[in-house]
Amino acid sequence: MTRNKIEVVFQPYGKREQILPGNTIMEASKIIGIGLNTLCGGKGTCGKCKVKVQKGAEGLNPCTEMELKHLSEEEVNENTRLACQTILMRSSIIFVPLRSRVGIQRLQTEGLEVPVKPNPLVKKYYVRMPPPTLHDPRSDEDRLLDSLNDQYSLSDLTINFNVAKSYPIILRKAKWDVTAVVWKNEIIAVEPNDTVKRCFGFAMDIGSTKLAGFLMNLTTGEVVSVGARMNPQIPLGEDIMSRISYAMMNGWDGQKELQTAVINGVNEIIEECCEKADVKPEEIYELNFVGNTAMQLLFLGLWSRYVALSPYTPVLRRGVDVNAAKLGLRAHLNANAHYVPVIGGFVGADNVAVILASKMLESDEIIMAIDIGTNTEIDLGNKDLIMADSCASGPAFEGMEIKFGMRAASGSIEKISINPETLDVYYQTIENTPPVGICGSGLVDAAAELFKSSLIDIKGTFSPEMTKKSKRLRRGQEGWEFVVAWKGETKIKTDIVLTQGDIRELQKAKAAIHAGAEILMKRMDITENDISKLVIAGAFGNYIDPENARTIGMYPDIPLEKIDFVGNLAGTGARMSLISREMREYTEKISRTVKYLELAIDKNFQDEYLKSFYFPHADLNKYPITVELLRRIGRVL
Amino acid sequence: MKVKKGQILKELAEAVVNGDEVKAELLAKNALEEGIQPYDAITNGLAEGMKVVGEKYERKEYFLPDMLLSADAMDAGLNILIKKIPKSERKAKGKIVLGVVEGDIHDIGKNIVKVMLTAAGYEVLDLGRDVATSKFIKKAKDEGAQVIAMSTLMTPTLMSMKDVEDQLREEGLKDKVKTIIGGGSVSEEWQMRIGSDAYGKNAVEAVDKVKRLVDSIMAAVEVMKKEKKNSE
Repeated sequence: MTRNKIEVVFQPYGKREQILPGNTIMEASKIIGIGLNTLCGGKGTCGKCKVKVQKGAEGLNPCTEMELKHLSEEEVNENTRLACQTILMRSSIIFVPLRSRVGIQRLQTEGLEVPVKPNPLVKKYYVRMPPPTLHDPRSDEDRLLDSLNDQYSLSDLTINFNVAKSYPIILRKAKWDVTAVVWKNEIIAVEPNDTVKRCFGFAMDIGSTKLAGFLMNLTTGEVVSVGARMNPQIPLGEDIMSRISYAMMNGWDGQKELQTAVINGVNEIIEECCEKADVKPEEIYELNFVGNTAMQLLFLGLWSRYVALSPYTPVLRRGVDVNAAKLGLRAHLNANAHYVPVIGGFVGADNVAVILASKMLESDEIIMAIDIGTNTEIDLGNKDLIMADSCASGPAFEGMEIKFGMRAASGSIEKISINPETLDVYYQTIENTPPVGICGSGLVDAAAELFKSSLIDIKGTFSPEMTKKSKRLRRGQEGWEFVVAWKGETKIKTDIVLTQGDIRELQKAKAAIHAGAEILMKRMDITENDISKLVIAGAFGNYIDPENARTIGMYPDIPLEKIDFVGNLAGTGARMSLISREMREYTEKISRTVKYLELAIDKNFQDEYLKSFYFPHADLNKYPITVELLRRIGRVL
Repeated sequence: MKVKKGQILKELAEAVVNGDEVKAELLAKNALEEGIQPYDAITNGLAEGMKVVGEKYERKEYFLPDMLLSADAMDAGLNILIKKIPKSERKAKGKIVLGVVEGDIHDIGKNIVKVMLTAAGYEVLDLGRDVATSKFIKKAKDEGAQVIAMSTLMTPTLMSMKDVEDQLREEGLKDKVKTIIGGGSVSEEWQMRIGSDAYGKNAVEAVDKVKRLVDSIMAAVEVMKKEKKNSE
């Protein structure tokens, strides 16, 4: 039996499509190619995918329990629904309000440039040979290998079997004038004539949220072009744990789906980068990947279940080499795809890359590196010893679990300041458009400014007596809230507020990071004064106000001049270990020597975590610089 | 005397609300000296305070650190008072088996639930974290517990809750033992899906729902007893 298709129209885009009934609005939006916010991956928990059903509402399933939690009575009456919870059975018109649309994402791809002398694993050799004669009937193999040995003193080379299939023809067509492409000791391609100048590689940071790729000239070590995309796995699960759950529930099919999604995303970036630089994907001879340990499994198509369950064991620790074509990657047929080694279940190749690029393991001085993301990795030490841990800082900085939270996209409030005397609020949005929501850096600013101006106390609780001084502080539906932008100023025609619950989410995130740092310091007997440099990595890190982040106690009380914001340091490490054989080998050393510390079994963790909830910390003696700063502005603690 | 008694109980409650461990202990001793019944001091002093803490938490005025400070104060008072109640008279409202499910080790939330349940008068059998399915069930059977309370922060370990649920059903224990689930990745939807009896959004709600579960089991037991009597 075939079911009649229904017509679904998405407004204001005016996009329409005939689809089968029984899809959710979210599924329909994917079919049609409309970006809807889905922070929770369609579980109905985030409430960020509100849409209005303008036509066809009578044929819908009744509101689910999850929906009733997120929708006001008024919204229910006007047929506002959560797209992920609503099933379309007949032709409908759906209106997507601004807040539910995926905006233009601010994708930060740059990171530090760390000078590394290029010594890639792939090298090209231009070689000319005498043609075979009856007096010299050596095999094509010997002819090529002998010539390479004569001209470049390369011995011990082998020929990849795929090359063996095609090179007899190429050698003759090119009149014995070719370029051999060598990876390690293996000839992976024979190309007609001199192509030495065109030798490319591709480095990529596979974040759970964002993919950032770099097309590299392997001979010069230069970045040729860059590209970024949101990780296409997001619709299958917002965070990495949800994705593994998805794989667990759907078995190998689910794994395959997750792998295909990320590979497709990588390929799109490869194609974009190649097009920008007029390079053919076939000219990419090696690819180098970093990402967390769970991502390593999803990317390589390995069983991901056990890394998500205590005691969180990785499947592979060492670096992995696998044929790129086997993974379905757009590159030369015989290109090698390398995944950088990992350290532990929650400290992955991305963190190895951070340690590599921060040069911690060569440093005499003590360095702390914090790579902020949904999962935050922290490294501490110097050439003698580095320890690393990882904490679940959560998605608050991505805007999730925050009432008006959103990713750093057009219209998000990214900077906030409050005049401590008048309590006037100033804010700045990305692209200077009227505000739609608040992104991570705005959230950090808001909390710090509220604290500095006594609107919240040291425990992060709104001070009700301040209502006398500001009408922005008021009782909302969910307790106390603070109006950041009045509805007349906003694009969404409602007040944008920061709720007590939002502050609590931020406290959880910052407390996790600080506790992670504190426990490493305690364990290694290192104090704030011993740390010569604090490196803050991660895309979000680059936009936060360093002083405000410190004021709320997100990281230890360290002078600002010692704090470096380095952006995507994992991407830098990925590039370094692509273009340099020595750096590649060095990643193995990092993986072997860095000591992983499991926070959850540290007996001090709960105590440190709870102390870190305070602004800036329960123990003010740990924050002398911040206390002095607060004293200066007249903030009494 | 009556004024003084009322004053002490009120201050006991306040010590819990303020998370003042030292004061709670002192006041508990005071209460005994003044001849207040330990049981009275617990229910009308300490537990009253915990109730206020719960309300403040609901309104998000109190947060995790406050909860744990109050819990510590409650514990300090409780330790003094409970010793003075003869063993034979110590009767819990019910027995609860509590733990973080297999595969997960995040237990801060569970620890708070434990305190809140104890404060509310339940005997809590805490199995800790990464608790095997069979361990939950064995403990509940051995101890004759009314409720198994399970928690997890992580999404992948949600399945472990289903395992416990399935095992209970297989062993035909669903009438005797009710379940409640909670934690970061848990939702009401998940509760429905695996057929658990309750979902606690937070520690305060968990206590409330545990009470309902225990009461329903107790009522069912009463009914069964009566029926048995009648048939005899």
